[in-house]
Amino acid sequence: MSSHRISRSVSERVLNFTFDGRRYVGREGDTIASALLANGVRVMGRSFKYHRPRGPWGAWVDDPNAVMSVRLGTVELPNCPATTTYLEEGMVARSVNAWPSAQFDIKAGLDVFHRWLSAGFYYKTFMWPDWHLFEPMIRRMAGLGAVSDDVLENYVSEQTHDRCAVLVIGAGPAGLVAARKAAEAGEDVALVDDHRLLGGGVYQQKTLEGKTPDVWVAEQTAAITAAGGRILTATTAFGIFDHQLVGLVQQGAFGTAPKLIRMRAGRVVMATGALDRPITFANNDRPGIFSVDAAAEYLARYDVLLGRRIALVSNNTLADGTEARLTTAGATVIRIDPTTGALKARGSKRLKGIWQDDRLHSADTILASGGMTPTVHLWRHAGGKLDWCDNRQVFVPGKGPDFLTAVGAANGEFDIDAAIAKVREPETAIKTSYHMTPLWPQPGSKGRQWIDFQHDVTLKDVELAARENYVSVEHLKRYTTLGMAHDQGKTSNMAGLAAMAAIQDRPIPEIGTTTFRPPFVPVPIETYHGHHRGQNLHPVKRLRLENAHRAAGAALCEYGGWLRPGWYGAGEAKDRIRAEVLQARKAAGIFDGSPLGKIEVMGPDAEDFVNFVYYNTIATMKPGQIRYGFMLTEGGVVYDDGVIARLGPNRFVISCSSSHVDGVRNHLETWRQDGNDPDRIYVQDTTAHWATVTVTGPKARDIVAALLPNEDVSAKAFQHMTFIETEWQGTPIRVARVSFTGDSSFELSLRQSKAEDLWGAVKSLAEPMGAGLMGLEAMLILRAEKGFIVVGKDTDGETMPHDLGFGVPRSKKKAAFLGDRSLHTEKANTKVRNQLVGLQVEDDSGPLPTGAHLTNGDTRPKSQGYVTSSYLSPTLDQPIALAMVQNGAARMGETVTVWHLGETRNATICSPCFFDTDGDRLNA
Amino acid sequence: MRNDTARWPEPRSSELIELDGLTITPVTLDRQVLVSGTNALSKETLPLVTWPEVESAASYALAVRRDRVLRVNGPAVIDGWDEDAELAISDVSDGYRVFDIRCHDMDALLGYGGEVALSLPSRSVARLWFGFGTFIYRINENVLRIHVVDYQADAMIDALVSALIKS
Repeated sequence: MSSHRISRSVSERVLNFTFDGRRYVGREGDTIASALLANGVRVMGRSFKYHRPRGPWGAWVDDPNAVMSVRLGTVELPNCPATTTYLEEGMVARSVNAWPSAQFDIKAGLDVFHRWLSAGFYYKTFMWPDWHLFEPMIRRMAGLGAVSDDVLENYVSEQTHDRCAVLVIGAGPAGLVAARKAAEAGEDVALVDDHRLLGGGVYQQKTLEGKTPDVWVAEQTAAITAAGGRILTATTAFGIFDHQLVGLVQQGAFGTAPKLIRMRAGRVVMATGALDRPITFANNDRPGIFSVDAAAEYLARYDVLLGRRIALVSNNTLADGTEARLTTAGATVIRIDPTTGALKARGSKRLKGIWQDDRLHSADTILASGGMTPTVHLWRHAGGKLDWCDNRQVFVPGKGPDFLTAVGAANGEFDIDAAIAKVREPETAIKTSYHMTPLWPQPGSKGRQWIDFQHDVTLKDVELAARENYVSVEHLKRYTTLGMAHDQGKTSNMAGLAAMAAIQDRPIPEIGTTTFRPPFVPVPIETYHGHHRGQNLHPVKRLRLENAHRAAGAALCEYGGWLRPGWYGAGEAKDRIRAEVLQARKAAGIFDGSPLGKIEVMGPDAEDFVNFVYYNTIATMKPGQIRYGFMLTEGGVVYDDGVIARLGPNRFVISCSSSHVDGVRNHLETWRQDGNDPDRIYVQDTTAHWATVTVTGPKARDIVAALLPNEDVSAKAFQHMTFIETEWQGTPIRVARVSFTGDSSFELSLRQSKAEDLWGAVKSLAEPMGAGLMGLEAMLILRAEKGFIVVGKDTDGETMPHDLGFGVPRSKKKAAFLGDRSLHTEKANTKVRNQLVGLQVEDDSGPLPTGAHLTNGDTRPKSQGYVTSSYLSPTLDQPIALAMVQNGAARMGETVTVWHLGETRNATICSPCFFDTDGDRLNA
Repeated sequence: MRNDTARWPEPRSSELIELDGLTITPVTLDRQVLVSGTNALSKETLPLVTWPEVESAASYALAVRRDRVLRVNGPAVIDGWDEDAELAISDVSDGYRVFDIRCHDMDALLGYGGEVALSLPSRSVARLWFGFGTFIYRINENVLRIHVVDYQADAMIDALVSALIKS
């Protein structure tokens, strides 16, 4: 990659490329725009709405006009800014939003109808009879480049993290001096610049500090690297985020994904320069009208003289130097003071001159400068304020975060010598040579005057928005799409807000700016994506027993972030699931419950703590006991359900829902540190250490008895909701009598490395008894038959425990507990709360759809609740459903209408427990 | 529920992984024990490992929080609340998978996964790396040792390999 200035008069590597089907030749180091300009091409695109011909306005990131689809070999990328895309051999560039070419675009005729296509046109016109009738056509017409159908192989961004003491953003004169100063002071400096060639605008100077720009820049970079500083070229700081994190994107060769560097900087020096702003006059969007700064850059960096007879329209002194250099390069320059009369460009695709009042100045090129605007985007990302400077007519960095400073043109210091001196000696009073005369859009003036070149927002559009009361700049932006082009308002925002200020007769600073948001330049989504793709995007948690499940023919499905067996065996899933349910009810099911939480709470205050975080009373538990309970949020909403076991006076184990382990651990840690003494309570998540094999069903006790022949697991000796700690094959094992199926159940937990042994042993003992493996789908049916809920499925963000039939602690528990106050509010006690019920259906249309609404059956039905779980119960051979219904507990026996996608059925509200309502099987 | 069996490869076996300039070796430790308490660090008798010091002892304790260590290959202890020492003790020997990563450019490798750098010392070895909670420390100048929660170990290794292949 070239990183030097181009000299077209001496031998440079020639690069062949095409644009809109025509062949051209450029030089190594060219951008596509500079190469085309060197070939005399000016029309490089079309505007978004009116399809007006567009040529480049700027020479770098501030250009809103020259956007292209570019193909190189097999790689095609849409919407490449021609001013920042470096030319490579064999590139095929096509203009976007134009057909067949930018030079001749068949849709250019739309411009004839511009009087009817002003701001708000779409909103007003396409409302009747239905926007969706017009939407496909408008969408086809809108947009810029199209994404190629080809998949870009290996287009993957490298992502890395880095840090430095001082990050200097921008390697113009001020940035280079700032970086050198910090590096020579011994600080760890990183200097980044978005060009391949460092120096910023320095090449527009004949000399700097008595040296040619090339020599001066080489001296600075040598000094920086000699002092240990790092320099990253082709690297854009696209945003500043929390805690001094700066997003850097580093470009490589065309077609390779850019690299993302997350840079954490101790201090950031913002030397991002300034942008030349357009002058608003009639036909100011014509190809051949450039910024003064761009003309100087094209000449200095790319050896391109933009015109032979140039009208230079400027209100500031920076144009003086450019005028001299253009003249030296062979152009005839006509200087025009834009503050002395109304301007109007003459010509269409090819400029012929510029009118000032009644006088025509013949010219093939117009250079315009309405004054420099500091590039303060990053300052605002970091939360810095902006101050208005009346002398320079700009927003400059005001009060900002301590870690951030602005230098050079970014700080409003447009005179290079003064800016450098200020960096070297910040306290020194600086005398600047920069002067300008205020020049802003004049509402009511004649002709079509462009504010946003790409999006075709004119001064009249701003005036229309103001008449329709879109006077806030944020509303103006959204109503007119001003600033929504790919340059994100770099050229249009100041003119737009100044126009609005003039219309309202208010000072510019009172109008304010729109919000500056990252990224500063367009960044491919891939940059954020990196290696987070495919299975690395949202990886599942893996069971230690996964190989055993695969060997047993498990269908592995994702449940709450875990890859778990849904069912086992080949054939129809529903048949396998039905068989597993029946087997579990008839003999026993063996289930991998390893993801269930095992979060230990220990310490002198452990009892008080769990009594506080649980809705139920936990303090009365004795060691060896287990209790089912709810954890609530502060709002009284059910956050998790599960069981808690007391292992000792100061030790509990919380077995929360599998998918809630991370959340519950954080929930506990939060409350441990808030309102409790964190030095007397400790929360240790041991979930990953333990595997849990669950055996449930009438034969479960026999299986466990065979597994642990030395333990008395009879119903009398080993009661429901208790546990024992013993050993199995010399390994500690916890056996808990907990049931989520309504049948007698045992949870066997031991260290993960012994899980396969235990799984195999239980399976061997179970199979001769008619028992077998069971997946999660069967388990969900088994628990639904008993009316046992799944939090998050059978509850929602408003469900409180009394809605589920657990109302006693609310009225009886004396100790303070999390969520208590919220359970006594008016809303918590209203009669129209959704409550858990069962639903029975008499017809033979199968299970009700989960999510179906329950209504009163009116012609305009209103939802009174919804179905949360619904299955065809293999045990009962009938459909069953759980639902949350308004005032459901008081409506037992009532028939309701179930509405789903326009179809209705009837159902009868009943108890949510469909099976073994007396609980006889629990101790069988 | 959708059958995703074919969408996910079988779990990684405990085999060594070799990439250009880097080797990932699964490690089997005798014991890992979480110990929490206000004195957990100050009264720890095993060598205390912080970042980025090199620890080459057979038994040591990782400082993972101001009030928590992970004892590695320490003596057997009884789980539960130790009344005398005022420590919460949990055996998590099977809770964390452990890998040694030998590489030429340790800082570059660390940078792919998160904000971990040799130049950034810390009293804790707990780090978010490739989005996973890990304990990272050095057992010699060229070898990192990483503990990651068992059920996310494959995902972390996959992310690491994927990032390295790109780079």
